[in-house]
Amino acid sequence: MPETVISVTNLLKSYSDITAVDGISFSINRGEVFSLLGPNGAGKTTTVEILEGVRNRTSGDIRVLGEDPEKSRSLIFKLGILPQDFSFIYNSTPKEALDFYKGTLTASSDLNEILEMVELGDKATTPFQKLSGGQKQKLGLALSLVNDPEILFLDEPTSGLDPRARRNIWNVIKTLKEKGKSILLTTHYLEEAELLADRVAIMNKGKIIDSGTPMEIVERHHEDDNLIIRGDGQVENLLGSGGYQFQREGPYIKVGLKSIRDATEIINYLYEKKAKFDDFTLKRESLEDVFVRMVGEIEEDETE
Amino acid sequence: MKPSRISAYFVLHAKSYMRSRSALFFQIAFPIILILLFGAIFSGSSYSPTTLIVQNESPSAASWGVISAINDSGLFKVQVISETQNLSDYITVHSVQAALLVPANFTTNLYNGGVGELVLKGHTNPTVASADYQTLNGVLTQIDFRTSNTSQKLVLSSQVALGNTGKTIDYYVPGLIGFTVLSTMFNMVYTVPNYRRERLFRQLSFSGLTKSEWITANMIFSFLMLVLSDVILVTIGIYAFGASLTLNAETIVVSAVIIFGGLFFFTSVGILAGLVSDNEETVSVVGNLVMFPMMFLSGVFFPLSFAPAYLVTISKFLPLTYFINSLISVLDYGNISSVSLQIVYLLIGSAILFAIAVKLFSWKQK
Repeated sequence: MPETVISVTNLLKSYSDITAVDGISFSINRGEVFSLLGPNGAGKTTTVEILEGVRNRTSGDIRVLGEDPEKSRSLIFKLGILPQDFSFIYNSTPKEALDFYKGTLTASSDLNEILEMVELGDKATTPFQKLSGGQKQKLGLALSLVNDPEILFLDEPTSGLDPRARRNIWNVIKTLKEKGKSILLTTHYLEEAELLADRVAIMNKGKIIDSGTPMEIVERHHEDDNLIIRGDGQVENLLGSGGYQFQREGPYIKVGLKSIRDATEIINYLYEKKAKFDDFTLKRESLEDVFVRMVGEIEEDETE
Repeated sequence: MKPSRISAYFVLHAKSYMRSRSALFFQIAFPIILILLFGAIFSGSSYSPTTLIVQNESPSAASWGVISAINDSGLFKVQVISETQNLSDYITVHSVQAALLVPANFTTNLYNGGVGELVLKGHTNPTVASADYQTLNGVLTQIDFRTSNTSQKLVLSSQVALGNTGKTIDYYVPGLIGFTVLSTMFNMVYTVPNYRRERLFRQLSFSGLTKSEWITANMIFSFLMLVLSDVILVTIGIYAFGASLTLNAETIVVSAVIIFGGLFFFTSVGILAGLVSDNEETVSVVGNLVMFPMMFLSGVFFPLSFAPAYLVTISKFLPLTYFINSLISVLDYGNISSVSLQIVYLLIGSAILFAIAVKLFSWKQK
């Protein structure tokens, strides 16, 4: 039985006329990367900030390492937190910021090792205001590692970063996962969650609308796979006469598949008929496709 | 509170502060510029006599005797104009500060045992007119004593003498020390909303630092910076402009206590002003509304004895007035006993206000 490090039961956070988090429940096991997904305003950050002890909840029960973060002062020393829109004292350097954290958290970490891990070694003495967006985010990640935490809260850690910086942060998260750290990751990059998370929960308008492994969610909600062929009218005619359902999307013809094996049959059929086509590819739905459709469907339902 | 966390933040803050040119300018350079400015204007001079235009419509030995005595007081440089000139026009045309009229019936009234009335035609500026009126009144009282053959000695300097040598710079040194302490309020006025907007309090809380530790580290740093800037002010005052201050172990310690109390008081006011809004512009307006009346009506830039009565009354409601008065008493006169109760009140008031500020100040997101 895996050890639960975070448990959330019926968590509610409401302001005067807005319910930001609407009675959600979930749990995170030790060594697991759990990702909260959702569009902007879904309630992800509010949930994370309540778990960090930064915000007070309206009702519900939460436990982080067995403690209530609203009441436990010592809990902060066991957590590593990279908040959304990380910022720091504008003319402090990364080295000074890490020294400060080491001093306040009475940690024994090797700060140079942390700086190298997040690829910030050469910027150790550059004032915060002169760092790029990606470098600032890396500093935030570095600070969250100073006390070698049991749980990491990473709130949109790669938001606004270029692909290279994003991949660097993904590598750091993978390393932390290998070290057995429990990580709560919020993101609106579905690719990121699919790559890093053991389990995900999709939030929309304060509620969790589904949860499970990325594969489970895709299996539950995906539509038919598609065969995408780059071809002309002759291909369309052949597909029509063969009884296949298709639709044109620009230079491509999208053929719906009931089974993945159908793809082989269609390609063989087109070869036999000597059809002229340039390229073809098989497209399966990703978590992102499923997510967009799920969130979109909910919004459409509400407008109706 | 844990000293190691206070120390860690102190080091971080100090290094960051030393890179901030604007912070260093306002903490160190600005007060130095002010004392150099005031020192250059008032250096080495005692009170400079005001030119007093006199029109004598009652020429006699008695009236010229009074005019001569006024001139000899050293407080006024008498300049007599013809009795045929229109005095009101003269004041307007020549923009004179003060003009004294000896009316035609002056001598007659005196010889008949009555009162010799003199009329001061003042400047339109009530502050200047009031100062001249009070000074001249003092001079005339002394002349009265002298002509009545009393044994009272003349103490004409009592209305304008500043400090123990009467040098204006003696007054400005404690005044500018008061200004440096007042300016610590603005550090907080800007820091609190800025840190809230940038979510730096949230970030600092992740380091395990508490708000009390943050405030304490800031206070210690501000106190050291105040000591540094005030030592520079005093040194420039003494060695560049010849200020005569009473500096001994006792007055230095008491001055440090006053500065520390003032730091607590104005930092607390700054925190409370910073809590009014997360919008820096709004907070800046609130801060200025609190700071500017104190800066100009508490005796930072001019002695309150020169102010009209209603401004003196207002100044009694401003805490900086008591703070500066205490420093003047201690540094200029070496007089600790007369202000000891005032200092105790200042410290108690500061402690209460500080407790309120710490209680209301929260790091949690709204």
